[in-house]
Amino acid sequence: MADARRVLIVDDDPLILNIVHTVLDLEDFSVSTAEDGETALAAIEREPPDVMVLDVMMPGMDGFEVCAAIRASEAHSTLPIVLLTARDTPEDRQAGMDAGADAYLSKPFSPLELIEVIEKLLSGTA
Amino acid sequence: MNPADAVELEQMRRQLQIFADDLRHIVGEERHRRHESEVAFRELQQAYQDMVRTLAVSAEMKDTYTSGHLDRTYQFALALTRRVAPELTAEPTLGYGYLLHDVGKILIPDSILNKPGPLDDDEWEIMASHPLRGFELVKPLRLLGDAAMVIRSHHERWDGRGYPDGLKGEEIYLPARIFTVCDTFDAMTTDRPYRKGQSIDDALHEIDRHAGTQFDPEIAREFLALCEERRPSSTEELAFVR
Repeated sequence: MADARRVLIVDDDPLILNIVHTVLDLEDFSVSTAEDGETALAAIEREPPDVMVLDVMMPGMDGFEVCAAIRASEAHSTLPIVLLTARDTPEDRQAGMDAGADAYLSKPFSPLELIEVIEKLLSGTA
Repeated sequence: MNPADAVELEQMRRQLQIFADDLRHIVGEERHRRHESEVAFRELQQAYQDMVRTLAVSAEMKDTYTSGHLDRTYQFALALTRRVAPELTAEPTLGYGYLLHDVGKILIPDSILNKPGPLDDDEWEIMASHPLRGFELVKPLRLLGDAAMVIRSHHERWDGRGYPDGLKGEEIYLPARIFTVCDTFDAMTTDRPYRKGQSIDDALHEIDRHAGTQFDPEIAREFLALCEERRPSSTEELAFVR
């Protein structure tokens, strides 16, 4: 088997992390998790993932800020990012795209749909 | 409950509902996959058994007088193994060893294998090489594992006077000790072109008489007990005891 594709999931809700982690495991992704933005940025430096799933509403840095920080960085500006948000308004969507997200899913979300989005991003057909 | 909590609870409920839907979908797919791999496994196992059987039959067919010997001894030996060491029958592998016991006869010339009269010393030596030749032949079949020792050791004797290795007592692979009783019994009770087969009672008496010399005494005793239990009226019936 080829090297497993690495996904970093960032969400302050351990329930979400747990379930998404499990479903991604099933699809042979190599999964790491972080519960806040600062930890996520440190994790990217330590072990850059192939794709990132990022919750918007988190204590501390929110998802938009994390996304913008990654886009502004030298090494990881092209990292594919999927944003998860509790609100699904055109403004939110625009804010996500402005921050540099590649895809956008609103909560409640389907982990299987998330996998489809990730697969598309990784194959470059998004 | 304040309204904000109620909204969050409702969101959580909807999220869990979606997770549950995904889970059901995943479980359905996994069950389907598991079913498919079980079918594939059974097919593979059947295909392997068919190949083993074909190989075994091709050896048996060279030996004109042994028709039916293969299946009878196979069934005998499995029944006796279930009695003596049931844990060995958990996998079909040992059965493959039983089926292939005489596979080395493929490499013995027909002129020797089917010679109507007694064999001279040179011919006997070639004939007696079939366990070792068979063992060498099946070496690449990794799945056989230890069961290949049935092929090598089914002509060893408890007293050490057998061949090819002259092993003695419990040095001989247990299933080979089991098999040799069944093999000998079937050979004795089968009609040959130059002699009629012995009666079952006479053959059982012979097995008893050679317990402790040719055969592992305990296995010979179990074999006699097995036959006693089944009270067969013919070898054919005995062959299909379970």
